[in-house]
Amino acid sequence: MSDTRIIKKRYIFMAVVFIGLALLLVLLPEKHASKELKPEQLLQAINDDTRYVTTDEVAQKMMYGDAYTTLIDVRSADEYNKYHLKGAVNIPLDSILNKDKNGNYVYEDILNQDIATNIFYSNGTVYANQAWVLLRRMNYKNNYVMKGGLNKWIETEIRPKKPLQTASQKEFELYNFRRAASMFFGGGTISSASAENSAPAPIIKKKSGKKEEEGGC
Amino acid sequence: MGPLFNASDEWSFVIALVIGIAFGYILESAGFSSSRKLAGVFYGYDFVVLQVFFTAAITAAIGLLFFEYFGWIDLSAIWINRFYTGSAILGGAIMGFGFVIGGFCPGTSACASAIGKIDAMLFLGGFVIGVVIFDAFYPLYEKFYKSGNQGPVKIYESLGMNREVFLLIFVAFAIFAFAATAYIQQKVSQKSKKY
Repeated sequence: MSDTRIIKKRYIFMAVVFIGLALLLVLLPEKHASKELKPEQLLQAINDDTRYVTTDEVAQKMMYGDAYTTLIDVRSADEYNKYHLKGAVNIPLDSILNKDKNGNYVYEDILNQDIATNIFYSNGTVYANQAWVLLRRMNYKNNYVMKGGLNKWIETEIRPKKPLQTASQKEFELYNFRRAASMFFGGGTISSASAENSAPAPIIKKKSGKKEEEGGC
Repeated sequence: MGPLFNASDEWSFVIALVIGIAFGYILESAGFSSSRKLAGVFYGYDFVVLQVFFTAAITAAIGLLFFEYFGWIDLSAIWINRFYTGSAILGGAIMGFGFVIGGFCPGTSACASAIGKIDAMLFLGGFVIGVVIFDAFYPLYEKFYKSGNQGPVKIYESLGMNREVFLLIFVAFAIFAFAATAYIQQKVSQKSKKY
């Protein structure tokens, strides 16, 4: 009979071990490292330029009052206070991954959700792109980058340049839209004042199928 | 599946062979090449099969979650079978009948044939005939076979539960099943001793 007793003891021991291990798994703090994108996937995502939104598209969204779009200014708070796009939220690049006391990302609610579309911008494209890469690596979706940043914004939406007489109908339509945008954003008065920039008239190069993808309305 | 080697690597056949031999060895040493042992689950006199597979399941589940926690395995890279409601129910029933009538499951029949059991060889023969018939008439039931595809669904997901909590409940259930089957086994063997 002592045999069965030993076996019983073993069973009880194993049962306790299993329950203990399972309980430990429940109690262990959650780990989020596994959500991160693998290097190959990240590289693929970086090479894919569907993340870019043109300044014209941003202007359109703002003029229509698209509630499903959040503009995110990744420049420093100082720069943000001096000038920023209407309705933009300031999340400086160096604090985008800040954590609170509990170790949760402070801005996760804004940056990692699937309702609104976030569009990052900085003065150029580089910093916004960096913010995008940081977040894409953490597998955050629904984030986009305004191509050209504020420089391009000023160039196209605030001080649009009149196309040449020989330009196509499309370019004139775009110019008209930009002039309307310029007035809407309060840049109308300074539009033709300083046109020393010798860059060619901006032509929309990126006509990617972006709009259908993110049209919240 | 998370391959030990690259899937296109010829080494994967060697690995499969080694794992297969190990599996067969364990089946044989657990006594699973006896059809009495397997049929015993249905008659209530031997629940070793259930206990072994339950233990294997919870050991693997706990192990995998710990592996993932330590970052040794990427669970998202593991292939999970698609769940087809219709064929899962019918296939499960057929498998159960085959189990109790033949006294083997596909794995143990191969194992028992290897040690020279004639009933297992017959079972394997039937198994092959069944495969041929299934293949020959496949278009007839293809639609049913593929009906109710729910994708690679996991139980805790469909229940909307936390994975770890589900595992804890599952382990508790396994231990309960152990105790309950031990009790039934004892009763049945007492009864059969009387006559």
